[in-house]
Amino acid sequence: MRAPEVRGLGLLTGGPTPGEGASVLTLARPDRPGDRFRRATRECLLALAAVDAMLEDGKAAREAIAGERTALLYVTAAAYGASNRQFIERRGGVVHFAYTAPAVVPAEVAIEFGVTGPYGILIGGAPATLRAIEQAARLLETGTCDRALVLVVEIFEECADLYTTRRRYHGWPLVETAGCLWLEPGAGDLSFQSSRVVHGSSRAGGGERFAAAPVAQLGEWLGRSANGPLELSGRWRGEEARLRWSGVRSHARDGAA
Amino acid sequence: MTTPERVAIVAAGVVTPIGQDLEAFWSALVTGASGISQSERVEVADLRVQRGGEIKKIGRIKNWRGVPDCRATRLLIAAADDLCAQAAFRPLPLDPTRVAVVVGTALGGVEEGEKALGGDRGRRRLRDALYDAPAWDLARWLGARGPVVTVSTACASGATALAVGADLLRSGEADAVVAGGYDALCRFVLRGFNALRSLSRDAVRPFDRRRSGLLLGEAGALGLLMRERDVTGARLGTLRGYGSASDGFHIAAPEPEGRGLERAIRAALADARLAPGDVDFVSAHGTATPLNDRIETAALKRALGPRAYEVPVNSIKGSLGHTMGAAAALEAFMCLLSAQRGLIPPTLNLEEPDPECDLDYVPGRARPARPRIMLSTSMGFGGCNGALILEGA
Repeated sequence: MRAPEVRGLGLLTGGPTPGEGASVLTLARPDRPGDRFRRATRECLLALAAVDAMLEDGKAAREAIAGERTALLYVTAAAYGASNRQFIERRGGVVHFAYTAPAVVPAEVAIEFGVTGPYGILIGGAPATLRAIEQAARLLETGTCDRALVLVVEIFEECADLYTTRRRYHGWPLVETAGCLWLEPGAGDLSFQSSRVVHGSSRAGGGERFAAAPVAQLGEWLGRSANGPLELSGRWRGEEARLRWSGVRSHARDGAA
Repeated sequence: MTTPERVAIVAAGVVTPIGQDLEAFWSALVTGASGISQSERVEVADLRVQRGGEIKKIGRIKNWRGVPDCRATRLLIAAADDLCAQAAFRPLPLDPTRVAVVVGTALGGVEEGEKALGGDRGRRRLRDALYDAPAWDLARWLGARGPVVTVSTACASGATALAVGADLLRSGEADAVVAGGYDALCRFVLRGFNALRSLSRDAVRPFDRRRSGLLLGEAGALGLLMRERDVTGARLGTLRGYGSASDGFHIAAPEPEGRGLERAIRAALADARLAPGDVDFVSAHGTATPLNDRIETAALKRALGPRAYEVPVNSIKGSLGHTMGAAAALEAFMCLLSAQRGLIPPTLNLEEPDPECDLDYVPGRARPARPRIMLSTSMGFGGCNGALILEGA
């Protein structure tokens, strides 16, 4: 499959190095002015902040991603957990219904940035994100869109006590992450493979990031000024996925940076 | 432009409030049966509306041993059991590593989260509260060891799942895909819709002048998808195309002109390499909220042009309520059964036409017709719009 190239990457992460004994490295709730955001959950605001960071990385104005030629693919394993819990327990103020749904996170991005093209929402860990990048590549290859955004958000703080009972299922510490990847048609090759494994964990950059792990891996790779083919991989539940990707770097982005 | 690989829907299995297998579901639809009843399983005493399309007892599976005590999972597995019966398979007649599972849901196993946070810390409750847990349980039950994908495009999830399943076949990642959707009624979602005041105290009346909102339902709906060239026996029909588009307008309300749905319909027709004039029948999202039905009608008129007035358009949500993640898959299977059986189910409870909804909505009783190409539309929270193009066998 023809590989896309990375036009921009926004990555917000819960901490550069895990502290001794820290269980969850958290991201602060972004301050977003405007009455429209009075009901928005933390995961929604982090998604918007990740897109802002992506536009800054790509040295582009928000108009560059607006319109029906932009696809939006969102992935999370658990970012709805906090709002679901708050809604169930009615604690810490009111979470307004519909803000409990995973679909509202990309919806806030679509509303704020005027993205009205094809969309998809995958629930799962790192393999789901790698699959979303592959789906984005397919949409670009078939001309269904001109650019594709792959958005990931994972937050843990509000459910930290619940995760402690499930430590055998995932790595540690849990690192909150929000990221957005801006992909455009490229000239390299992309291949995706998935297989079954016994155990799943999505560690990257010194902690467990669930669906956000591949975006963190990509951020590290871009930050190292590395060249050549990139291999991203990740596990979740009983699946391991690998994405081999050449031609990752965009002249537009590197020139801008 | 090359034609995409054709994907067959070989068979389908369902569990719904109006029937717990495909034949019972179809019979109930064409005879105008209603699955709406007082909620008995969920505590609703403090809610404004206390009815829905509740399945009183999931009856198909005799032995639930090894299956988690999670209603969402059990709906999926009951639908899968019907699918296995319809398709006469299980164990799978294929290499298990080449069989994928793709399911759509708006709620996943959130009821397990309600139970866990309510003090029932059963060993699996929190694990099953994650939205992708039921899909993995289904894969285990089927013995499928290929990709397991969960999509959650709100109430368009079932359509997205069928499309993603077709993509897995076209890309060669799987040789067979069990795809569809599910959602269970639970206090979480009933409370939510109660707060939005979008539930009706009256009957669900899609496209009727008096329509006053929706009622929720629960269901599971799964299809067996294979590349058409790999299918040797009978099939239910073909998934010809899919389109999606985001409204980018509001979290809980559709865009007032239905532009997102219009884009999704156009994209689906383009994907199928078909024109509006090819469409013979439309299965509408038709929730019976005042906004949805008017907006959907307008979007159909713009996307299909004069053809919108020439084809029957129905909504089955009057019969079973809005089954959320299962709705689009159920409606897709209804389309294929219509083509196969030569009968289009009526839009239940449509009695007084609305001047703003002026298409042919099949009121009253089932109508003899044998559509070949069918459009099925879906809209969901967050401005998710999906459209499927289906072809009868």
